Amino acid sequence: MAMIENRRKKSLIALTMVTPFVVTFSVFFLYPMLDMIRISFTDAPLVGAGHWVGFDNYLKLFGDRLFTLSLKNNAYFVALTVIPTTVIALLIALAINRLSGFRQTFVMSLFFMPYVLPVSVVTELWAWMLDLQFGVLQPVIALFTGKPVAVFKNPYWVMPMVAVVTIWWTNGFNVLLFIAGLRNIPSELYEAASLDGATTWQKFSRVTWPLLWPVTALVLTLQLILQLKIFDQIYLLSGGGPFNSSYVLLLKVYREAFQSNNGGYASAVATVLFLLIVVISVLQFQLLRIRRAS
Amino acid sequence: MSPMRRLENIVLTVLTLMAALVWIFPLYWGFLTSIRSEENAAGSVSILPDEFQLKAYLDAIFNTKLMLWYVNSIGTATIVTVLVILISMLCAYALSQIRFPGRRLLYGLVLGSFMVPGQTLVVTQFILMKDLNLINTWAGIILPQLIAPIVIIVYKQFFDGVPKEMREAVVLDGGGEYTILFKVFLPLNWGITTAMSIVTFIGVWNAFFWPFLVVTSEDMMTVPVGITQVNDAFGIHYARLMAVAMLAAMPVILAYVIFQRRVTDAIMISSGVKG
Amino acid sequence: MRLIKTILLGTALSLAALPALAKQDIIWWDFLSGGDGVRMKALIDAFNKEHPDIQIKGTTLEWGVPFYTKVRTASAVGEGPDVMTYHLSRAPLGLEEKVLSEITPKDLEDAGLKTGDFFDAPIKAATHDGKLYAVPFDIHALILYYNADMLKGSPYLDANGKLTGIKTLADFEAALAWLKGKGVPTPVTYQSGGDAGVWRVFYTLLSQQGGEFVTNGKVLDGDNAEKAAKVIDTMSRWREKGWAPEQAEYQASVALFSAGKSAFQLNGVWEVPTYKDLEKNGKLGFKWSAVEIPPFMGKRATWADSHAFAIPNEGAKTVSGEKRAAVMKVIGWMEKHAIGWADAGHIPAYKAVTESADYKALQPNATYATLAEAAAFDPQTRITGVASPAYDASLNIIAPAIQGYMSGADAVQQIKTELQGKLK
Repeated sequence: MAMIENRRKKSLIALTMVTPFVVTFSVFFLYPMLDMIRISFTDAPLVGAGHWVGFDNYLKLFGDRLFTLSLKNNAYFVALTVIPTTVIALLIALAINRLSGFRQTFVMSLFFMPYVLPVSVVTELWAWMLDLQFGVLQPVIALFTGKPVAVFKNPYWVMPMVAVVTIWWTNGFNVLLFIAGLRNIPSELYEAASLDGATTWQKFSRVTWPLLWPVTALVLTLQLILQLKIFDQIYLLSGGGPFNSSYVLLLKVYREAFQSNNGGYASAVATVLFLLIVVISVLQFQLLRIRRAS
Repeated sequence: MSPMRRLENIVLTVLTLMAALVWIFPLYWGFLTSIRSEENAAGSVSILPDEFQLKAYLDAIFNTKLMLWYVNSIGTATIVTVLVILISMLCAYALSQIRFPGRRLLYGLVLGSFMVPGQTLVVTQFILMKDLNLINTWAGIILPQLIAPIVIIVYKQFFDGVPKEMREAVVLDGGGEYTILFKVFLPLNWGITTAMSIVTFIGVWNAFFWPFLVVTSEDMMTVPVGITQVNDAFGIHYARLMAVAMLAAMPVILAYVIFQRRVTDAIMISSGVKG
Repeated sequence: MRLIKTILLGTALSLAALPALAKQDIIWWDFLSGGDGVRMKALIDAFNKEHPDIQIKGTTLEWGVPFYTKVRTASAVGEGPDVMTYHLSRAPLGLEEKVLSEITPKDLEDAGLKTGDFFDAPIKAATHDGKLYAVPFDIHALILYYNADMLKGSPYLDANGKLTGIKTLADFEAALAWLKGKGVPTPVTYQSGGDAGVWRVFYTLLSQQGGEFVTNGKVLDGDNAEKAAKVIDTMSRWREKGWAPEQAEYQASVALFSAGKSAFQLNGVWEVPTYKDLEKNGKLGFKWSAVEIPPFMGKRATWADSHAFAIPNEGAKTVSGEKRAAVMKVIGWMEKHAIGWADAGHIPAYKAVTESADYKALQPNATYATLAEAAAFDPQTRITGVASPAYDASLNIIAPAIQGYMSGADAVQQIKTELQGKLK
């Protein structure tokens, strides 16, 4: 009897502890999520009620050139960032790992610093460096193209340049993960490899790379999901242009909802993006599990 | 070590150092521009400091609402940090230490929400804030940022690792769950708490998309939003633009420099690569 | 003792008087930067100094889509400004978005204004179903800036250093070719990489052929399509021959002219103060002036628009009562002091100001004073105006076509398919 009472009391205490999270979670996450799905089946404006239109919004998506273009641009951006940033971060981590003491701390903090900056500071720094008239990087660009390029106004340059800015900004995070991964590799393995007369490359390909794979997979996953959600840098650097060549899904959501006042349609776009990310996350998660198990 | 090996070593170290300096160049260049005069800022391509003046900074501080945006940023970031830590710690403690009905379900929800992209919910979150009359308020900025499943997951992992004996000692003394949490678990995990607080603070300070949507009045903007939304009536002034950017970045750069170790630890821990 | 008494009494009196002098803070949003911004800021400061009881609190947001997006969202949730600047070309779109509140006869009275005080065209653009939705502030149009020093030695400059002999497209292109031959990098500059700059030139050249963008609910119907295609092909040719810049951003397009890399510029009157200021500080380094755009395509016509003041419609939260009267007082004051705005190159919409001697003496405004007669305003539809679907099309279809990605005819076809659906 006392046991049951004790248990009930404990449950009650647990309830008081989880309530703050459960309430905020339900009100500001769960409810908006369900509401998003509901509104996506209506023609509601941003503010105010709408009528039920069934799957109309979703059907409209297929014929919406800007939607398919955004989808493509999202994929293009992912291709431009995910693998390059992983490779660059790995190289930097390997370089840092060679160093020790103050040198290591110093170099690591230089590589990591951009990650703590607000996105708008990052975009302003780069917009200034790439300014058509006075940008310090324009002479470098002119070296290759023969003339300065308004990179964020050029349909071919815009996405790669936004990718460069993004990699510069977020790479420090990936470097850290790789360093942690490298530190977790027992040094005996390297010693053993050295005794066997392994070259630097052999050590990397036989020891480092296989043991680092879980971290690499983690970096790839996190980056894939992060870069699918690209909005801030695009909005601040190119606004989706020129000629919509940097239009992405989240920008489409923003424009439909806040510029064109189509809350319902915006929610449909958001729901698709939402499902896309969830599906990819789950797939990746399963894939990683299988790999780890085998 | 053979001479060849040593040479290789030195070359690699120098290359690494140079790469790091190139990497930080944008920040350095921004700083350099900010301490130049306007006339010199546009057009000077000298990568060495050639003058030092704070005019652009004074201009930025006195002729924009930057100070007001600082208050908004510091206020909201501090409140979010404190609340996130408190809410997540309580929830994690219950999940880790108390057996109660619905525990597995709740943990599943936390893990699941970790995978769900919050940014896609902005439209309905905005509508909700409108209905609650919270547009252009601190509460409007703060509330949706309070959900941080990763902090719960990290705390739970650490609480799981606390030896049972420590808990039992308090129970024998007649202490309740809250006593255990605050007297035993919290002091044992101060490192985690500081690390999580710093990364949460930096994250909230840097948040752009949500504050950008939920605030429409200049007076309520946070620093990262304000510096992009409000144009200066006097055209583009590069030195001042960069001074504003430097001032916006200063708090997070300082936080990082001071708590460097904690920041790196927090990131390694929360991504699961370091236990 | 008496002194103290007087002071005490005075203090008491002024304290008692305070409630009557309740200070009104007016939240003001505009999109004016550059020379425009400086002049508007000066006007606001002057107003604030003159009116201790009404203080304008101004915020300048980014021009175009960001501004109108913010206005719409903020008004919808009742967090809009008390007064804002608005483009009249966008009035139909604004009405459809329900962001404009009616300016009633009582409001006008509070401002000390009558509709008859203004030029007809902007008043017409601000009126819908007999109701006024904005108070026009100016008329601004596209003009042709020229660098007199660069044209020296050409047949296009008269003895007084004024532009001459450019009447047709052929004349203009001959001048461009002459300049290019002399080694001028970009003979004519305009914002070729932005929605607004492309639209202004496009619409000017379309109107000069008597072409109309929308007729009877149809986009570029009948021979308007060929006229539009001709415009795009012309603009495309300018780029091909290296006469006009490739994808110039607004700032860059202006800089080309001020840096002496372009001899002509097709831009709005609002850049007049920029060059005036540069000249005054001795930083320009060449003689310049501006004229009405010559009738390149046959007819006199030049793209024009109006800045106006509007009060956002925020449902139950719409500014009303004493505050609204204060807002109208601000608008009335601005109209009557529009000479400070004319200094930014604009033609005040308030007629009395344009009749003043001060205004008539303003240069180079006087040289293009006639352009009000040639003003071609955007059609009053829901697809045209600043930050409208037509502007999107200008950026996404016309600009690439000028870059040579497609022919004028193809571009016109695309514009029609893109916009017709949005024109219910």
